[in-house]
Amino acid sequence: MSDLDRAIAQLRACRPIPEAEVRELCHKARELLIEEGNVVTVNAPVTICGDIHGQFHDLMELFRVGGDVPDTNYLFMGDFVDRGFYSLESFLLLLCLKVRYPDRMTLIRGNHESRQITTVYGFYDECLRKYGSANVWRYCCDVFDYLALGAIVLGASNTLDTPKSGPLAAAPGEKIEVEVRNADRQIISRFLRKPPNNGHNGNVNGMSATTTGVSSSESANGPPTNTGPPGSGASGSSGGSVGNPAGAVLCVHGGLSPLIDMVDKIRLLDRKQEVPHEGAMCDLLWSDPDEIDGWGLSPRGAGFLFGADIVKVFNHRNDLSLIARAHQLVMEGFKEMFDASIVTVWSAPNYCYRCGNVAAILELTEDDSGLGVLSRSNGEVGRSDGGMGDRQRGVLMDTDPLGYGEGPARRYRVFQAAPQDSRGMPAKKPVADYFL
Amino acid sequence: MMAQNVPHQTVATATATSTASSNPAATTATATTAAATADRKRVKVYELRNNDWFDRGTGFCSACFVVIEEGQPKEPRVIVQSEDQPDRLLLETKIVKDDGFQKQQDTLIVWTDHGVDMALSFQEAEGCQTIWKFIDGVQQTFHAVMGGPDDMMDIPAVIQLPPAELGALADMENVFRHLAQSQPGREVLAKAVVTEDYIPKLGALVELAEDLESLVDLHRLCGIMKTILMLNDTAIIEIAVTDECILGVVGAMEYDPDFPSHKANHRQWLNDQGRFKEVVRIQDDTVRRKIHHTYRLQYLKDVVLARILDDPTFSVLNSLIFFNQVDIVQHLNSTPGYMTDLFAVFHNPNEEPQRKKEAVLFIQQCCAIAKNIQPPSRAGLYGNFLQQGLLSVINFGLRHTDVTVRIGATDVLISMIDHDPVVIRKTIYDSINRKSLPLTDTLIDLLLVEIDLGIRSQISETLKLLLDPTPPNGPQERGGFVPDQGRPKPQPTVDPQQELFLTYFYEHSAVKLFRPLLDLEHRPNMHFNSLEDGVFGYLNDILCFYIRQHQHRSKFFILNYNIAQRFAQLLECKQKHLQLVAIRFFRQLVILQDEFYIKHLVEKKVFGPILDALLRTLPRDNLVSSACLELFAQIMKDNIKDLIKHVVETYREKLNLLSGIDLFRETLIRYDLTQASPKTIDRFFADAEDELTRRPANAGRGMMEHLSVDPAQEEYWNTSDDEEENQGPATNGNLLKPLVEYTSDEEDDGSGDALMTVDSVAAEEAAASKENQEPTSKSAPTTPTPTTAPPERLSEKRRREEDEDDALDKLMQHKRRNSSSSSTTGSNSSMSGTLVQKKSSFNNGKPRSREGSPSPNGVGGPRKIAISISPSIKTAAVETASEGGAEENGK
Repeated sequence: MSDLDRAIAQLRACRPIPEAEVRELCHKARELLIEEGNVVTVNAPVTICGDIHGQFHDLMELFRVGGDVPDTNYLFMGDFVDRGFYSLESFLLLLCLKVRYPDRMTLIRGNHESRQITTVYGFYDECLRKYGSANVWRYCCDVFDYLALGAIVLGASNTLDTPKSGPLAAAPGEKIEVEVRNADRQIISRFLRKPPNNGHNGNVNGMSATTTGVSSSESANGPPTNTGPPGSGASGSSGGSVGNPAGAVLCVHGGLSPLIDMVDKIRLLDRKQEVPHEGAMCDLLWSDPDEIDGWGLSPRGAGFLFGADIVKVFNHRNDLSLIARAHQLVMEGFKEMFDASIVTVWSAPNYCYRCGNVAAILELTEDDSGLGVLSRSNGEVGRSDGGMGDRQRGVLMDTDPLGYGEGPARRYRVFQAAPQDSRGMPAKKPVADYFL
Repeated sequence: MMAQNVPHQTVATATATSTASSNPAATTATATTAAATADRKRVKVYELRNNDWFDRGTGFCSACFVVIEEGQPKEPRVIVQSEDQPDRLLLETKIVKDDGFQKQQDTLIVWTDHGVDMALSFQEAEGCQTIWKFIDGVQQTFHAVMGGPDDMMDIPAVIQLPPAELGALADMENVFRHLAQSQPGREVLAKAVVTEDYIPKLGALVELAEDLESLVDLHRLCGIMKTILMLNDTAIIEIAVTDECILGVVGAMEYDPDFPSHKANHRQWLNDQGRFKEVVRIQDDTVRRKIHHTYRLQYLKDVVLARILDDPTFSVLNSLIFFNQVDIVQHLNSTPGYMTDLFAVFHNPNEEPQRKKEAVLFIQQCCAIAKNIQPPSRAGLYGNFLQQGLLSVINFGLRHTDVTVRIGATDVLISMIDHDPVVIRKTIYDSINRKSLPLTDTLIDLLLVEIDLGIRSQISETLKLLLDPTPPNGPQERGGFVPDQGRPKPQPTVDPQQELFLTYFYEHSAVKLFRPLLDLEHRPNMHFNSLEDGVFGYLNDILCFYIRQHQHRSKFFILNYNIAQRFAQLLECKQKHLQLVAIRFFRQLVILQDEFYIKHLVEKKVFGPILDALLRTLPRDNLVSSACLELFAQIMKDNIKDLIKHVVETYREKLNLLSGIDLFRETLIRYDLTQASPKTIDRFFADAEDELTRRPANAGRGMMEHLSVDPAQEEYWNTSDDEEENQGPATNGNLLKPLVEYTSDEEDDGSGDALMTVDSVAAEEAAASKENQEPTSKSAPTTPTPTTAPPERLSEKRRREEDEDDALDKLMQHKRRNSSSSSTTGSNSSMSGTLVQKKSSFNNGKPRSREGSPSPNGVGGPRKIAISISPSIKTAAVETASEGGAEENGK
C-alpha cells in the first residue's frame, strides 16, 4: 500500500503519476468498482459533492473545507474531468483515494465520464499532452465504464447538532433543518424545521425564504436564527421540506428518467458501457429538473427536463426524502427546488476559471437518535418484494400512511475558489515537438 | 472550432447605407470600372457551416458598383464567377457596413453575410489587395458619410498613444483600459497599436523592466499586453507571433498580476529551437515561417491565453491556425520533389533509424492536420502519399520496435481509412490476388502480441472498418456496441471484391484473429495474466460487429467453432470483467432476435452457466448481477418465446432459486399460465383487472413499464408471432384498446404496454400528438390518476435535431476515431453531434450556449420546450425559454 500512499502524495502535489502506475491503479479500481451495484448504498454521515471539472486546486480547497479523507466520508456525483486544466490529477487523486479508502469514498458517473464527451471538452487532450499518448485516457475511460450510476444515502439525521450554549445554540425543542456555513465554518444562516402539521399540505408557497435578504425572517417559514450577509447564502427554497419524509436520499449526476420509476430498476442496467445516447442510463446522467409540469425535452439534446410533480411522485414511490444531483452550474453553489425535494450541488467554484460562482458541498449527518431515517429496501435486502409494497400505498402526496420521520437535515458548506496564487497558473501543457 | 470571428460593428441604418452607395465618386477610381477582365482574380469561396469551412467553389473575383435598378443608386458588390461554369455566380454580395469585412494575412478576406461567416481565399496576394482596396474604399465612405454612431462621439477617429516608455506605463494602462471598454474605442486602439508599431516597443520594455526588477511595471505590461491581444484583431495577433515580437509578447505575459508570486517560462519554452523538427528541409521561407507562427498561435491559445480566452479571440486564433495549415499542406503537396525526398528516407537502407522514425511521425502530423482541411486538399495529400508508397511505410511502422512509431503508423492508417476506406481495401484485394499476406493479417498479428493499449484499440477499430461490407458512402456502423442498435439492418449489395475479401478473411484470417478465444477449449484453467485477459474485450467487440454486419459468414463461423461455448467458458473465470465480456456477447445474440442464434443459444445451453454466474454472485448487487439481470430482462421485454420456454423448461430449479427476484418470479408465472387452459387465463385477466383498480399508480405510468409483467400479454405470448396482433385485442377488447396505435412500433419501450387503462387514453393522445411533432399545447381532460409519461420518442426528437448537427458530429467522428474509441464506444455516430457541442461559448464571463444545444453557432436562444402529458394538468406549455440564465447551463 505504500506505493498507493506515495501516489496519493504525488497527486496531492498536483504531479501526475507515471503511466504504469495509472494502469495499475485503474486495474485495482476496476476490481473494486465491479463489485459495486449500479446504485451504491452509503451510510450517513456523508458529504455529497457535485461537479469538479478538473479544477484540482479547488478540489484541494474542498477537502480543506469539508475535511480530509478518510476523516470525512465523501460521495462525488461525477463530472470529475473536462474544462479545467487538471482533470487528470483530479480524477486520479479521487481514484487513488477510492482504492485506498474504498468505504470512505464513493464515486458515481457523470455525463463527462464518457469517451465522446472527453474527446471534445479537454480530458483527452490533457492526457495526450501530459503523457504523449492517449493510453492514460483509455485507462481512465475504462474505469468510467465501471463507475456506479447512483447512490442511496441511508441513516441521515433529521436535525443538525447545535452547541449547548452561546449565540448559535438552538432553543429547546427547535430542530435545525438547513444550515449554511462558509469556508471558515461560520454559520451564514439557519432554518428551523416547520411544525409538522404544516408539512401535510404539500404546498408551501413561502418556500422562497432565502438567506439573501433580511426579509426572510418575515416569511411564512420558521424564522432563521441568523441571516448571513446579502448574497452569501443560497438562492433555492430551503425553508423546510414536506412531502414524503421517509428519509433516504438518492444521489445521481443528472436526474430522473421516464424509464425509471423505481430505484430498483436502475439496478437492472448493464452499466459497463459508454454512456448511451438515449435510454435510462443516459437520462440519469443528463436530465435536469425544471419549472415545468411532467416531462420536457432537454435543450441539451440528451436526457429530459422533469418537473416538480415527477420528483414528488418518484420520491414518494421510492421512499425518498430528497434527490441530490449535480450537473448544472448554480451561482450560489447549491439550489433546492420543488419544496426541497431535489437539490443541485455544484462544487466547482469560479467554474472554468471565470464564471464567478461559489461552490458548495452538502453534509448529511448521522442519525444517532434511532428515530430519524428508516432503512429501506435496498440492494438484495428488499428485492424479493420488488417494491410492490410501495405501490399499494398510492401516489397522492397528501397520504402518508406510515407517517415516519422527516427529511434529512442539510448542512451546506459554501466555498470560493482556491486563492489564485496557491495554485500556479492554470494552463494546458503545450505540445512539445512539432514538424508542422 | 474554426468559427470565424465576427467583428462587432455598430449597425448602420438602411438610409445611411443607401446614402453611402449613392456617392460612388468617393471610392477609388480603379475599382469603379466595371468588371474588367484584368481585375479578375482567382479565388476560393468559403462559407462557415456548422463550424466547418465549406468550400463553395473556385472562381474569379471582381468588385464593382452594379446597377440594380434603373434610376436607383448603384450598389457596391463583390462577385465571384465560377471557374467551371462562367455563367454561374458563386457569390454576389453587397458590401454593407455591418458585414464587417476584414483582410487577414495577404490572401484572405472575411466577413459576415446575413449572419453567415464567409471567406475569400485568393490565389494571389495582389488580387486580394485589389479587391480589398475596393471594399476598404467603400467602407471608408460609410464612415465618412455617417460620421460614426453616437457612442463614438467622445472617441476621436485617430488617437495618439502615450510614448512607449516605462515612465508612461500607468498612463498607458489607463488609456488602454478606457478605450477597450467600447467597440469603437477598441477599433481605434487596434489601429493605433498597429500603425505606431507598438507591440515590439512594449516587448523591449519587458527586458528593461526586468533589468530594473520593477515588478509593478512588469504587471502593468502584462495587463496592457493582455488588452492588446484580446482586442480581437487579426492583424495584431499576426504581428504578435512574428519572430520580432513573439518573445516580447509572451515575456510580458509571464508576469501575471493575478499570480504575483509566479513567473511563467514562456520565453524559455518558445526559444527552444530544438522543438522544431525538420525531416526534409522546407525551402520556402514563408512556409517555414508559417509553421513557426502556427506553433506560436497554438501556444498562445493553449498556454498563454488559456485562462482568459474569450470567444472572439478564440475564433481569431483558430481561423489563423486553420488557414495557415491549409497553406502549409498545400505547399508540401505542390512542391515538386518534396514528397519524393520524404519517402526516399524509407528507401535508403543506410538511413539513420532516428530519421526514419521522425519521418513516420512527420507523416502522422500531416494526417492529423489534414483531418481539418477541406476534403479535396486532403484527398490530394493522401493521393500523393499513396503514390509515394505510404503503405510500405505503414507496414514498416507497424513492425517497428519503438512504440511511438507503431502508434504513428496505426494513426496514419486510421486517418487513411477514415478518409477513404476503398483505397486501403483495394490494396488488400491486390495482396490477396498476388497471394501475398494482406494488411489485415499484419494487423491481426500485431493485435495479438501488442502490449500498447492504444495500438490495440486502434487496430480493433481498423479491423472493423476494413471488413465493413457496406459501401463507403452508405450508412456505416462505426463499430462499438450499443445494445438497442443490435438489430440487423437490411444489407445493401456488396461490392464483389469486398465479397472475395470477406471470403478470404473467414477462410484464412478469422481463425487467427480469434485464436485466443478458440484456444480456451483446451485450456486447463481459466487463469489469465493481465496481458492475456485484455484481448477478449477487443475480440468480443470485433466479433459483435461482424455478427451484425456479416450475416451468414459470421453465423457459420460461430457455429463451426462453437464460439458460444467458448464465451460460456469465460463465465467461469475469476475475473469479473471477463464474465461481463461473455454476457455482453450473449446479449448481442439475443438482441438480434435471429432464429438461428436463438437456436444456437438453446442448443449450446449457455443459459445454465449464465444463471450459475448469477447465482454465484447473488445476493451481492454488483455489475455481474446487473448484467445478467439485464440480459434476462431483455429477453422478457422482447418476449422471445423460444428462449423463455427453453430457460424455464431446462433450468426451472435454478429459476426457483431466483424466484425472489421479480423478474424470474414473473417469468415463471407467465410461463405456467400459458401452460394452463384458456379458462385459467380468463380468470387471470379478471384478477388482473381487479389489480389494476387497486393499483392506479401502476396503470398510470404504463408507458414506463418494461419489466413487470403485462397480464394482457399472457394470452398471446405463447402463440406464434403472426397471430399476436390480431388475437390480443380481440379477446380483451377494452383493456387493450390503447395498444393498437403502438403495435407497429418495434421497440416498444413500454409504449405499447397493455396495462394502460382507458383513463390514460388522454395521456396517450397527448403522446401521439407529440409523435406527430406537434409540441403545441393541448388540453387534456382531468382524470383522477396523476400520470407521467415521456414526452415523445427520443429517436424522433433527435431526428429533428440531427439536421442541424450533422456537421458537428462529423467533427466528432474525426475526434473520436483519432482517439480510437475503444471497445465500448457508442456506435451511433449520427447521435454524437446532439450530445456534444464543439465548444461552449462564453459571454460576459458566463457560459451562454450549452452542450447539445442545437444551434452550434450560438445563433438563436436556447430552446426549451415543456410538454406536459399528464392529464391532471391543465395545458401543456411551450416555452421558448429566453431566460437562459447561468443556472441552467450545463457543464
